[in-house]
Amino acid sequence: MTLSRPTMAAIRFGYGLKPGDENAPASAADLMKQVERGAKAKARFPREGFEGRRETALRLLSVRAAEAKTAQAGKPNPDLRRDTLREADRMLRRDSFARIMQAVYSHNGFFERLASFWIDHFSVNARKTYAMRMIVSLFEAEAIRPNIGGPFVNLLHAAVLHPAMLFYLDQNRSVGPESQAGLRNGTGLNENLGRELLELHTMGAGSGYTQEDVRGAALILTGVTVDGRTLAVGYRRARAEPGRLSLLGKVYGEEGRSDADHVAMLDDLAKRPETARHVCRKLVKYFIADEPPAEIVEAMVAAWTASDGNLTAVYQAMLDHPRAWDGEGQKFKQPFDFVVSGLRALDVKEADMTALAKALDDEDAEVPLRPDEAEDGDDMVQAEKPGPRGADMGRPDAAASAEDGAASDIKKSATKAAAPKPGFARAVTFGALRRMGQPVWQPPSPAGFADDAQAWLSPSQLSERIAWARLAVRGLGKDLDPAAFLSTTLADAARPDTTKIVAQAPNKVHGLTMVLVSPEFNRR
Amino acid sequence: MDASNDFRLSRRGFLASACCLAAMPVMTPVSFAAAPGDARFVTIILRGAMDGLDLLQPYGDAAYAGLRPKLALTPDTGLTDLDGRFGLHPAAKSLMPLWQARELAFVHAVSTPYRNERSHFDGQDILESGGADKRERNGWLNRALATIPRTASRRAIDINTSMELILSGPNDVDVWSAQSDVALAEDEVRFLERLYAGDQSFSKAFEEAVRTDMSTDPLYAGGKRGSGVADMAKLAGNLLARDYRIGSFSINGWDTHVNQKAQFAQVAGTLALAITTLKESMGADAWSKTVVLAMTEFGRTARENGSGGTDHGTGGVAVLAGGAVDGGKIFGEWPGLGEDQLYEGRDLMPTGDLRELAAAMIHKQYGVSVGDLTTKVFPGLSFDAGSVYLRG
Repeated sequence: MTLSRPTMAAIRFGYGLKPGDENAPASAADLMKQVERGAKAKARFPREGFEGRRETALRLLSVRAAEAKTAQAGKPNPDLRRDTLREADRMLRRDSFARIMQAVYSHNGFFERLASFWIDHFSVNARKTYAMRMIVSLFEAEAIRPNIGGPFVNLLHAAVLHPAMLFYLDQNRSVGPESQAGLRNGTGLNENLGRELLELHTMGAGSGYTQEDVRGAALILTGVTVDGRTLAVGYRRARAEPGRLSLLGKVYGEEGRSDADHVAMLDDLAKRPETARHVCRKLVKYFIADEPPAEIVEAMVAAWTASDGNLTAVYQAMLDHPRAWDGEGQKFKQPFDFVVSGLRALDVKEADMTALAKALDDEDAEVPLRPDEAEDGDDMVQAEKPGPRGADMGRPDAAASAEDGAASDIKKSATKAAAPKPGFARAVTFGALRRMGQPVWQPPSPAGFADDAQAWLSPSQLSERIAWARLAVRGLGKDLDPAAFLSTTLADAARPDTTKIVAQAPNKVHGLTMVLVSPEFNRR
Repeated sequence: MDASNDFRLSRRGFLASACCLAAMPVMTPVSFAAAPGDARFVTIILRGAMDGLDLLQPYGDAAYAGLRPKLALTPDTGLTDLDGRFGLHPAAKSLMPLWQARELAFVHAVSTPYRNERSHFDGQDILESGGADKRERNGWLNRALATIPRTASRRAIDINTSMELILSGPNDVDVWSAQSDVALAEDEVRFLERLYAGDQSFSKAFEEAVRTDMSTDPLYAGGKRGSGVADMAKLAGNLLARDYRIGSFSINGWDTHVNQKAQFAQVAGTLALAITTLKESMGADAWSKTVVLAMTEFGRTARENGSGGTDHGTGGVAVLAGGAVDGGKIFGEWPGLGEDQLYEGRDLMPTGDLRELAAAMIHKQYGVSVGDLTTKVFPGLSFDAGSVYLRG
């Protein structure tokens, strides 16, 4: 059975159907228009805009630097450290919420999916360092999103040379061993960025480069640094490895080393055929099937080659391929996609979401930091990062902190002013994503989140989704009729069995819940 | 007397508490309203179509045992005899002290005006909206609030999206929910199994989730489900002992198409626990002024089906409990279970209107006029002060 184009356009290539959406895409052409519009649209994060966020971040960083100095002199100020940490955590929470809102309310679903693809392709983790909490949203908004529809090489430069990426992959710790700084301090090379550049960002693992190439890429990158106080990305000759450096048979720095070398390297890597194949295959895997059909990949690689890596042409080639529109249900939605498409299906009014966001803000203003959001430390331990089957999937009892706002005395509680619903706001948005193993902007590794059904379709994942659906339906879907909800949510993707079972459900909440946890809602 | 200080509760539906979603998978909300005076009225909606013939078994009817070879009990096999004709299901035995104290009554063969289609959604809509028209979108208990003569000023409006239909509407209602959760009901688990039957990966994952987490996971802790409902009842009891006079909550799990014996025993035990917990937490004084009305959208087929269960029917049973109930008796005109006595040859014939029962209880508790009850609360209802439900 082949589903209708509008259904496939919304479910496979977007964040699902939203009732009454007049902008719902009906064709490949509509989806391509979304790419064009999306790249020009302003994202909902960071909340203060690019300049505003830089200012805030710089202010907080300098406050903390000043404190660090007085601390060294024996006068630490723990209150200030705590307060500034809270402020950064708050920004991350708000931005995380805004990222979900962005996906829910955008009319450019295909563009939003692409943004999720690329932020994952160029993974950074918002909890890596203090500053990262504030700048990862900036990274997505200024480096990724504006470059999604252009030449791949532009996106590569913007992403790899952004402060967020440089912090995340430890570029400041990488010093040319033979450079002035290296010789003076005995510090050395950190291969992290060089390795991920080849393995993840461009050519892909197993594409033929060697360990020598990894080292070469890392050496060529030496000298590139990011200032921890000003967030300025610069080139410091004293840290750059001198001499002729080679990568994949090409020599860089022939006429003396300069900041032109790593720029040229990125240009060259963007042009490699391995890069085209790696990225195209990953796109097909992301959108269409865990085992990407080769003919779609080939068509996209051809478009890449013909257009010199123009991503719009590559997406167009994917959508133009007939096989991109059949074989539905092979992909299992990642948690972010599940939650976003669920909120879209429930047609949550923007005003209601704004009220939830406000409840979170108000709570931020008075409630102390919860233990689960306590400082991670400035260097994350790999093993503790969340993942699809990570420790986060456990089901802790309502923690002691869970009793915020609960009252042991009824009278006191009953006379309280109308309480906001921050707990609910969290639980249906980023809190749910943490529980499902996909916290916003916190991938488990530089390779990003897993993207195949095997990684996600587990008993605990299913339980989390059922719990989320019941909560969301109770809180947001009370007036919906299950049969009508099924048809606006899944259209012709609803199987006859599901239609029948949902209509027979013993109560409405369960009927609506079953729509959201049905196989066809969780697949695409 | 003051039982409130030993439990915690959170306001307005959701997770005041929690970042932890699955720690609280289902907040079945309890809705409340204030009213002047001391009389209390609590409704419990039994969602999924409670089998009245199983809860209150007409063992004295000659046709009964033949219709239900697997399900029918007698006083010799565990049924608690009530009046020589009807017996109470053993799982609800803890209600017997209330029966003996004349604080418990049953109404047999009642139903809403809903007929023939037997859809849970429509049936529950009519049960809660009280209108023969299923498009009525506010609840009869909310409409009743407007008719109760008020002396005190109204409470602040506190609209919560999770309110159930029966108390939804223009009049002020608060929603609270207990800290603990109510797990998926057995019938809900069965429906999910059916939903996943056609998808092997889902089916396997769900089966494993249910199997491994049955005892510990709040979502599937079917065996412990009662404690979540009891917490809800305790919360309701405590609040009704104080500021509130009217409350409502639901108990799911009654859609017993298969293996009814085990499933019904569990959920009937939960209902009994909810009622006894309400009484306990309310305290003797408040309980003495209380009427609890437990009701369902429709009954189930008079005959067992081939899977040891029963299917959607028509006439059912309502339960009345509380110190203000004229208890120790079974109301309702018994239509009989003979072939020609069944509705459409399959269901218990309804001989009473659930709306009349509800109207009678509101009239009894709050003195709401017959005129208001038959025009504003249940428009078009035939009801007067001589109603059978009001005769002492």
